[in-house]
Amino acid sequence: MTGGQAVRRVGAAAAVAAVVLAAAAGLVLLAGADPVVGLQGLVAGVSSSPYRVGELVVGAVPVALIALTLVPALRAGIFSVGAEGQVVVGAVAATAATFGVDALFGGVAGTEGPGAPAPLLWLAGALAGAAGGAAYALLPAVLAVRWRVDVILSTLLLNYVAAGFLAWSLRTWLASPEDTATPQSAHLPEAAAVPLLVEGTRAHWGALLVVVAAVLLALWRRSPGWTRVSVYGVRPRLAMRLGATRARTTCSVMLVSGAGAGLVGWLQVAAVNERLLGSVSGGVGFSGVAVALLGGLLPLGVVASAVFFAALTAGAVGLQSATGSVPSSIAEVVKGVLLLGVACLSAVGRPRALARDDVPDDAPPVDAPAGAPTGAPADARQGTRA
Amino acid sequence: MSAELWVAVLAGAVALAAPLVLAGVGEGLVERAGRLNLGLEGMMIMGALTGVWAASSGGWLVGLLAGAVVGLLMALLMDVLVQRVGADEVVVGLGLTMLGLGLSTFLFQVWVPSGQTNTSVATVPHLPVGGLADVPVLGPVVFGQSLLVGLAVVVLVGAWALLRFTRFGLQVRAVGDDPAASELRGVRTRAVRSAVLLIGGSLGGLAGAAITLGAIGSFTPGVTAGRGWIVLAIVIMGRTRPAGMLGQSAGLPLPSELTQALPYLVTLAVLVVTARARLRSAVRRVRTA
Repeated sequence: MTGGQAVRRVGAAAAVAAVVLAAAAGLVLLAGADPVVGLQGLVAGVSSSPYRVGELVVGAVPVALIALTLVPALRAGIFSVGAEGQVVVGAVAATAATFGVDALFGGVAGTEGPGAPAPLLWLAGALAGAAGGAAYALLPAVLAVRWRVDVILSTLLLNYVAAGFLAWSLRTWLASPEDTATPQSAHLPEAAAVPLLVEGTRAHWGALLVVVAAVLLALWRRSPGWTRVSVYGVRPRLAMRLGATRARTTCSVMLVSGAGAGLVGWLQVAAVNERLLGSVSGGVGFSGVAVALLGGLLPLGVVASAVFFAALTAGAVGLQSATGSVPSSIAEVVKGVLLLGVACLSAVGRPRALARDDVPDDAPPVDAPAGAPTGAPADARQGTRA
Repeated sequence: MSAELWVAVLAGAVALAAPLVLAGVGEGLVERAGRLNLGLEGMMIMGALTGVWAASSGGWLVGLLAGAVVGLLMALLMDVLVQRVGADEVVVGLGLTMLGLGLSTFLFQVWVPSGQTNTSVATVPHLPVGGLADVPVLGPVVFGQSLLVGLAVVVLVGAWALLRFTRFGLQVRAVGDDPAASELRGVRTRAVRSAVLLIGGSLGGLAGAAITLGAIGSFTPGVTAGRGWIVLAIVIMGRTRPAGMLGQSAGLPLPSELTQALPYLVTLAVLVVTARARLRSAVRRVRTA
């Protein structure tokens, strides 16, 4: 990167930060509150008690795990927005596996008593969750490889199919035997619950998975596979000379992201809610995409921005109680502005020629990464997603 | 099931389809020119909020217009970020949806603090058709509808005529089919793309206002309930032609999980079939070349 580009990038980053801060301050003023009081409330909301800090971990873990495992796909220019559905399928699979394994050892769903040992239940839940999420991510990958169905659209559609599957499961084969107001599964066996990191908070050992995923990503970034995937995202044909194939690249990055999302599904069931709820995904899939982009697809950057996103959500609650008039939904607005800012930053950061057109329009479609639907032009859809 | 029930279901389906048709026509134009507006859900919900807010002081007509203006402004922002700054269309779209969902909730909670009764406004009146509304079956289904259904039909036909008969429509189709060639032929590709996005955004905002002003007359956070995404799905189902959209959108509002998931599965199947057909013709082209 030349010096001039670096200066432009820093300038653009400062401009984005200024816009985000100005937007936040403007919203606080609009709600008739003092921005300084708001800021104090924001800080208090994140750090005033161990429980609050624990909530930060609970919020950051699913988003970070999804974002970290989504990095290879985004790096390859494959824009999957299907984490939401993969979380759901992973959660259903993990719940079913946990109950199934427990039943093998004589446990009865929803009751105290004998059952499988805890490590076995964790293993069954985690494996089933990851496998469920991965299988559900493989579907759009195969469609993209075999028939060039656009991944954005197929993953988007499959999210709704997964939501239907979850609603149906909670009404039929996974429904709680108790009479409940909202559809939910029976309470998971006590042994299946992932232990807490710190007593008195909700922070759980699932945070360890984030560390593992970040380390794996950091290691993988030093491998030839990373180079192939990165080149594939920008110059598919060059990547094929390096030994990448379209099928292998697409399927492997989608499997990784699906397994990560499926693990999140298991964690949300076994570590947070202790039963399967209709709201299991709760928007973490979309936040994951935003966090991965915000973190610049770098391991530490992704973890930091996941914590930042969680801090915004938790801090906004503190902001609401400190000012009394500013709704906590201000966090969502700031996240949206941030994502727009990141989109602009990545445009400023890359050379102009790349931003315009990666693959010439007259290139044979055989070399295009994912089939654009309905005649969408190559230049709008094949840009580097990083 | 009794006949009266079916008439009621059908009339309800037509009424529910009006916002989907409005937004779908806009998104259809956008995709016909080769763009993708993933910010549609955000534009619709902002339109839904602004519509109620403006209608509370100026009546339903002002509300609908305000919804369209907000959609236009968001589309303008998207266009500047994508075409001027060079930001990724998909990321900007997702960002705008996130922003719209958050901002509509925030502004609503500032406008109507929790604990206070939700502001309710008069809904859009019905079509002035006199005695026609009493005709059995046809009366409630076709004539006894709100003005919005009429508006949706007008917009649908208008968009079809625009694409089919006007110079602008030809340019939109040309840009969507082959941007490089149309640029060479003197079409201002960028301007055409901006224009369709602005139209699509305004219709999205209008559709959002139609959701709140058409039936309930009040806003609640998340009131669009993913209908922006549904519209994106419908547009692909209708294969980005306005005429294909009407039939698709009317069948959507049905209960039970499978029928809820079915439209998406059907869309996916259509996507696969169309992708295969395109692939075959592309392979043929490469072979003969």
